[in-house]
Amino acid sequence: MSEAAPPTILRPHAEQEYAGELAALAAADDRPRPPGWKLSPWAVVRYLMGGPTGGSSDMVITPKYVGSQRLIEIATATLATDRAVLLLGVPGTAKTWVGEHLAAAISGDSTLLIQGTAGTTEETLRYGWNYARLLAEGPNEAALVPSPIHRGMSRGAIVRVEELTRMPPEVQDALVTVLSEKVLPIPELDTELSAVRGFNLIATANDRDRGVNDISSALRRRFNTVVLPLPATVEDEIAIVSQRVGELGQALALPEVPSAADEIRRVVTIFRELRSGTTVDERTALKVPSGTLSTAEAISVITNGTALAAHFGDGTLTASDVAAGIVGAVVSDPIHDAVAWREYLESVVRERSDWGEFYEACRALDS
Amino acid sequence: MTVHLLGIRHHGPGSARSVVRALDAIDPDILLVEAPADVQSSLTWVGRPGLVPPVALLGYVANEPGRAIFAPFASFSPEWQAIAWVNERDRPVVAIDLPMAVTFAEQGTDELLADTAPPDPLRALAVAAGDSDPERWWEDVIEHRGDGSPAFAAVAEAMAAARDGTITSAGEERREAHMRRAIRRAVKDGHQSVAVVCGAWHVPALELDAHPAAVDTATLRGLPRVKVASAWVPWTHRRLTTSSGYGAGVDSPGWYRHVFDHPGSDGVARFLVDAAHLLRAHGQSASPDHLIAGTRLADALATMRGRPRPGLVEVLDAADAVMGGLDLVRAELVVGDALGQVSDSAPQVPLARDLAKAQKSARLTPVATPKTLEVDLRTPTGLRKSHLLHRLLALGVPWGAPEEGRGSSGTFRETWRVAWEPELSVRLVERSGYGSTVESAATARLIERVDAATGLADIVGALELALFADLRNAVTPSVRRLADRAATDPDTGRLMDVVVPLANALRYGDVRGTDDGALRDVFDGIVVRILAGLVPACFALDDDAAARMVERLTATQTALAVLDHDARRVAFPAVLAQLADRHSMRNGLISGRATRLLHDAGRWDATRVEHRLSHALSPGTPPDVGAAFVEGFLAGSGTVLVHDTDLLGVVDRWLSSLRPQAFESVVALLRRTFGAFEPAERRQIMLLLLGGEISRVSGFGRDVDAVRAAAALEAVRHLLGIPLVDVEDGADHSPFEWAEAER
Repeated sequence: MSEAAPPTILRPHAEQEYAGELAALAAADDRPRPPGWKLSPWAVVRYLMGGPTGGSSDMVITPKYVGSQRLIEIATATLATDRAVLLLGVPGTAKTWVGEHLAAAISGDSTLLIQGTAGTTEETLRYGWNYARLLAEGPNEAALVPSPIHRGMSRGAIVRVEELTRMPPEVQDALVTVLSEKVLPIPELDTELSAVRGFNLIATANDRDRGVNDISSALRRRFNTVVLPLPATVEDEIAIVSQRVGELGQALALPEVPSAADEIRRVVTIFRELRSGTTVDERTALKVPSGTLSTAEAISVITNGTALAAHFGDGTLTASDVAAGIVGAVVSDPIHDAVAWREYLESVVRERSDWGEFYEACRALDS
Repeated sequence: MTVHLLGIRHHGPGSARSVVRALDAIDPDILLVEAPADVQSSLTWVGRPGLVPPVALLGYVANEPGRAIFAPFASFSPEWQAIAWVNERDRPVVAIDLPMAVTFAEQGTDELLADTAPPDPLRALAVAAGDSDPERWWEDVIEHRGDGSPAFAAVAEAMAAARDGTITSAGEERREAHMRRAIRRAVKDGHQSVAVVCGAWHVPALELDAHPAAVDTATLRGLPRVKVASAWVPWTHRRLTTSSGYGAGVDSPGWYRHVFDHPGSDGVARFLVDAAHLLRAHGQSASPDHLIAGTRLADALATMRGRPRPGLVEVLDAADAVMGGLDLVRAELVVGDALGQVSDSAPQVPLARDLAKAQKSARLTPVATPKTLEVDLRTPTGLRKSHLLHRLLALGVPWGAPEEGRGSSGTFRETWRVAWEPELSVRLVERSGYGSTVESAATARLIERVDAATGLADIVGALELALFADLRNAVTPSVRRLADRAATDPDTGRLMDVVVPLANALRYGDVRGTDDGALRDVFDGIVVRILAGLVPACFALDDDAAARMVERLTATQTALAVLDHDARRVAFPAVLAQLADRHSMRNGLISGRATRLLHDAGRWDATRVEHRLSHALSPGTPPDVGAAFVEGFLAGSGTVLVHDTDLLGVVDRWLSSLRPQAFESVVALLRRTFGAFEPAERRQIMLLLLGGEISRVSGFGRDVDAVRAAAALEAVRHLLGIPLVDVEDGADHSPFEWAEAER
């Protein structure tokens, strides 16, 4: 599928990597398209969820998002109205991934991106100035440096704002006018930029991390919120972890490590159990540690273990390779989490007959 | 003469609307409804002011109220609307289903539901058509295409297809035969226009031509019967939901009522307005702007999903994306808390009947004047009284109140203050939905209480009540819930508080035939958690918290000892040893008590304890910490000092070594410890310190009456379960020699 991207690129954009699928969907799609959209809402949902292309094409679209179709439908339908979408969820729930693919499918362009940080300024959201020109020529169109939002509005395209809540609240509020009036005033030039149809905004935020800001209610009101949950079943989560671990391993050029399936299952099981506060057989309740224990963390535990096994071990992923990573991920608060982990270790892990090796590895770390 | 078969979906607002429309169109002389024939007299109440839905028609075996059928009705139930339609016009209504008298006689089931066979055939059809919401599917497919009668013809056709190839069970065959016979009778009686309202599933079977009358007569011949009675009881929307166990239940009664009340195109907006009001009442923001966006999003979703108009799924998705608060909206609006009313003149509920029976067997008469009641638990009647009063407590009908301190003392005697207030009768009817016998209702309510409980103490309280009231079925859920709560409770102290009541429950066999093992597992689990969390829980405690923790340590030790628990041998001493060591500089009280427990349990030998003590009491330790250590170590146990001269020596040497200022700073703390000792103990300690001798055996004179002492010892042997020795043999020895020998 990567015919459009040069092979040396570490990570091509979604619209490049899946150009073939997008073209096939656009050709087969005969449903009405909202103004400025490259695909109909139905085809956008199909692009994300996967399935047959329809029409005369026999191409099968690969699923980009594993999870509830409902959520993708809500997000797409919202973008088709004039409200913006806020994707909420703990880290590792594919917020950015979904946002990128939505933008790629709707506008054919996922590059209009603003990364929110504590240092993001209003200029990043609105526009900046080329100061050399500004001093030489005074304020004029040519001296203005457009932000991704500025460009999205003039082109009628979807703009993404990552980690909205990491921006200071007063900077976030610069979005209010853009979202409610669909206009970006430029007082220096005594003019304004009106958004072209097709412009909309996808923001992502997570509500569980430390160091995030609140969203003002004025801004919140401009967004429809879609909460992306953690994977619903163990099998879903294992599939996601295995797939991403494989991709990451290739990207990092790690040697192939066999028999990782058992360890992946174990890590996913432990994370799910501690996250939900109950064992898989639902017979024992557990304390929930303060960490997020997301799928993304499971992926990094496995990748880390793989690197350990490949470079320092015998090339096979064993319990001791992942034990340290797991304990590190679970115990983020030294008092409360340590109690939760010790309880889990003694009351659940120890009882599982085929987890003996893992239990010993964790005990060895403890002492 | 025409027979109109109106196949409906039980509790379908769409069906209810189209039934009324169809009745208006065909204007029947008589209405036949699918309801047990012996509840017919109760149907006259439908549509009267006294009866406000949701209500349930309750049928039960007259002398066994535990066997009951509930047939719930909501305002959006088609049957309800149809019966109300004819009642309003004073036309006859006939219940045509097989009488309950036969159903009960045939089936031994405890609780049956009115329509067990195919709970919701329309749902099955809707799911087959790929729609999650049968009501919307019905609206989309039936209502929006036809109007009135033609829709019913389509339903009949669909059901004929759905039933094709299925085998009708014997019970269902009888029911349908009974319905056919009733229809034939109505026709024979000369009614020109007969309307039959029944579950859509039955429509194909009620075509008279396809079923010869003779066969039906044979089917219905000689069926056994029992005596049954029926009554209206108040019902709630929550109990209409499938999750509360009603077979033909609906997931979203609140939504259905909304749809029934507001069929127009503004229904979605109205629902969102209700949701906004609800969210505002709970302090969340929901502005008109939100409502506009929500309505538009619902429409957009419906369009994208190819639906003619937004259904519940779209509305909820939209409300959640725009305003949030989905759980609240779902609980309050989609399900709802509507409670029906039944007028005073309605027949008595079975719960009251069962209570009367229980009162008779416990020989307790309801009297309004308060009186005190002594109950001896060793007699069967006394035990029954205690069970009944406890059950009513669990049910929330407090006929008796346990008297201060004695109600749950666990002895063979209980004291109650009983008074039957008139309000209790009303309360009893309100509670009748929980079950038809005192036992089942109390169990159900106790389980509900346990589910709602937030604190461990509440759950243990409910568990104790379940044990005292002999509600076996409530014990297991309470135990399970206790295990869950214990697992997530961050406060180790609270876990330690419940250890003693639990140990007692286990020890004294109060669990009477209930799942003893489950309780034991919970206890073990709690012990594991205490052991894991105890050391961190003892960090940074102020004096009051430390004092409480010391009590809890002792209580835990006692509980473990009572059960001779495994943890008592290795795991708990190991944790205590950590406390005794690590906290010596932080909290003297706790390490003092930990040392003491290790000493008492014989875990630490005298040398080690002394080592520890003199370490804590040495000049290197701040005096107040040392004094707290002494308090933790010695509180309430002067006798130890009297008998352990070495120990006394250590304390004595420490005290003597204090400099005057240091002594002044600890004397108040020391007084707290030593002041609490018995005066006799203090006197003895002083005697010892002054170099005097005291007799090892205190409390007895020299002239012990050997025979009387032997009698007392015999009683003690009984209590401890030690085999008796011949009295003559005992007479030869002094009882104290005996006691020596036992040791």
